[in-house]
Amino acid sequence: MTFARYSERIEGLQYLAGKMELSGSRVRRYLMQELFCTSQKVLESNFDIIQKALELLKDNKYANGIMQLRHLFTQVHDIRGTLDALRENRVLDEVELFEIKYFAALCRDFITLCDSLGFDHENLQSLQRAFDLLDPVGSGTVSFYMHDAYSQALSEARKHANATDPEKEPDKWNDARDRITEEELLVRQRLSSELSLMQSVLRDNFDRIAHLEIWFAKAALAKRYGMVRPRIVMDSGPCVLQAEGMINPVIADILKPLNRVFQPVSISLGSGPCLLTGANMSGKTVVLKTLALIQVLAQFSFFVPANNASVTLVKDVFLVIGDKQDQYRGLSSFAAEMLELDRIMAKIREGAKVLVLADEPARTTNPSEGAAILCALVEFLDHYQTTSLISTHYGDLGRSCRKLRVSGFDSKQVKGRLDPLMMNEHMNYSLIEEKGDSVPMEALHIAHLLGVDESFIRSAQTYVKKTEK
Amino acid sequence: MPFVDQIIHYGSLSVVGLGKNTGKTECLRYVMRRLFEMQKVVAVTSIGVDGERTDQVTHTAKPEIFLDRGMYFTTAASYYLDKRFGAEICHVGEHTTVLGKMVTARALERGKMILAGPSDTVSLQEWVRMTPKRFPVDVCLVDGAISRLSPASPVVTASMVLATGAAYSPHMKTLVERTRYIYDTICLPGAPEELVKKLENITNGVRAITPQGDVTEPIAGQALLPEQVRQVLEKCGNKLYVPGVVSNLLIKALGEKKDVYNTQLYVRDFTRIFSEPRVFHTFLRKGGRIFQLFTTNLLAVCVNPVSPEGVRLNSEELIQKIQQAIEVPVYDIKRMEQ
Repeated sequence: MTFARYSERIEGLQYLAGKMELSGSRVRRYLMQELFCTSQKVLESNFDIIQKALELLKDNKYANGIMQLRHLFTQVHDIRGTLDALRENRVLDEVELFEIKYFAALCRDFITLCDSLGFDHENLQSLQRAFDLLDPVGSGTVSFYMHDAYSQALSEARKHANATDPEKEPDKWNDARDRITEEELLVRQRLSSELSLMQSVLRDNFDRIAHLEIWFAKAALAKRYGMVRPRIVMDSGPCVLQAEGMINPVIADILKPLNRVFQPVSISLGSGPCLLTGANMSGKTVVLKTLALIQVLAQFSFFVPANNASVTLVKDVFLVIGDKQDQYRGLSSFAAEMLELDRIMAKIREGAKVLVLADEPARTTNPSEGAAILCALVEFLDHYQTTSLISTHYGDLGRSCRKLRVSGFDSKQVKGRLDPLMMNEHMNYSLIEEKGDSVPMEALHIAHLLGVDESFIRSAQTYVKKTEK
Repeated sequence: MPFVDQIIHYGSLSVVGLGKNTGKTECLRYVMRRLFEMQKVVAVTSIGVDGERTDQVTHTAKPEIFLDRGMYFTTAASYYLDKRFGAEICHVGEHTTVLGKMVTARALERGKMILAGPSDTVSLQEWVRMTPKRFPVDVCLVDGAISRLSPASPVVTASMVLATGAAYSPHMKTLVERTRYIYDTICLPGAPEELVKKLENITNGVRAITPQGDVTEPIAGQALLPEQVRQVLEKCGNKLYVPGVVSNLLIKALGEKKDVYNTQLYVRDFTRIFSEPRVFHTFLRKGGRIFQLFTTNLLAVCVNPVSPEGVRLNSEELIQKIQQAIEVPVYDIKRMEQ
């Protein structure tokens, strides 16, 4: 599946793509068409390339060269139309011939610059032959002219036309001009057929330059967010997906102008399901989204936003947030969620190795059936040993399963009414192993701190006591 | 003619015609020839084809421009490829238009060419800025148009020459009045620099400017319909900024305000003002003030006393009358050439 498809499914991916320094929609299209990679060998070699690019970006010695490289990227024009014309053996017009010459000169600059940077990936092939073909007198400039040197007949036709005065002998002059046009066409035909032999090299270079730019953009992104190279591990070990000190770049960027920082979270998942509990507003959903982002980034050959990360390669990543309600198709949020889970389970039954991250599944129906659905889901994931993290507020499921809990809320520090935006000042987002069956009962407490009407909360509290009895 | 020296000083010029057949092309040709004689390298383009491609009245094609050897010119690829003289392509733009990519080339022989350059203000600005950087060019020339159809404003160049003539109005009195009016709009003062910085990137929504100099959120989308103008007047206070078209209705309503003498109107440039000369002058006479964010230096006015319908005004009298009304030199290019 392509990057474009995943960026619709995994929150944050689109955002990061937008933060990449790419020179235009031409290159962005290449990024969007990158494929979800399941080959360790390919990924490792891709990570090597980013690592090399990142070293160059971090080394001040190369700052000048990197600046030149970025400038060169902006100079590349979209010449796909011209390349298509070559492939189809059409005769190029002067503008298209200029574009080829200009592109050949750019490739020369890229080759020289990459050599001086010591960057030896996405190596371009020299297009000197194409350049020389379009520079018959060896002037070395990028401008293009149908030079007399191309053909004796053309040169003579021009001499003939120049000897005629267009004002005095317009007919004769027009004939002479037509002759020139004919001769120029012959030259263009010859040039086009010679260039069409180099068509594959031209196209290959054109693609490679776009890839080159994407490698450097990925490295720049890694530098900007302090991302690291993920380790790819075999799934036999105890940890299948692990991230130490992971951050969510989207939220980190929102917090930055408010002078606050994202509290890094560490997590380690094995095979089989794991439940995630925690008070409201404790960041469970963010953990799920960030994990999904890390897994997907890694398999699209990106570095990941954590201090340290290991991933196992999977066939697909599912992030079930439960907001797929689609009234136009007559689907309630519950129905949409059930259908989505059903699709995922069908995939797993087929034997596909996937990562499932589900946010409070079955929360939109009655608690007793909801808990039952959750139990069945956990049983299913356990049976197929599918690595998964499922957040929930349901306690006491009557089924043993690994559980993590968000440390939670330090309410002692809160004075007066709580501003939802200041929540993270009082929240400890780190995850701890939970042995018991209980879930945090802080909903009313938090509602109280948020300033919800006192009498309403007191009324709710009496109902809690009644149910407990 | 002295204004050619000034063009070299400013580095860029647009030639703007008040209407069809007012002698804009003659004027441009004249300037190009003079610069060529002075051995200056020029680059020339025309505000895109959307502005004016064929004469709507006579259905004649847009005139071709004569190019001398060594001149740079920018036009759309489809026109370029029809050329009947030798030229070398020096640059091809990234964007594709209906007429193909923008080609900048250098003439290797004398020849003529239909020019259809950038058709929006931003690309035109880019052209004026980048062309002297890319190529050894002394002066950038823009064949401009004041036209409601053209989205590109000729104010991107540092100087301007205005072409007017019998084709614009066959009555000498009306012609002088209208020319005077356009002259007055061109000469409107520039806004203070700090305000220009605040306003130049705001391109939508009519806004008020508070006494502290802050720019408000839009108080209306536009100020064209009576309803919109009423809304603007209610909320605008004494200073307002209209990024789009400044309608006759708005200026009239502002002129009828009690405290018109305190009113300041900010517009992007003179091409955005669409008002009747009388309404415009009444507003200013009552003490209202209009400032433009972008100004240009008007160097001269060129007149063409002949219209295609056969009207022939007295050249000397026309020059004299217009000269009395405005403060830049007035020329009849055709007569001067003779």
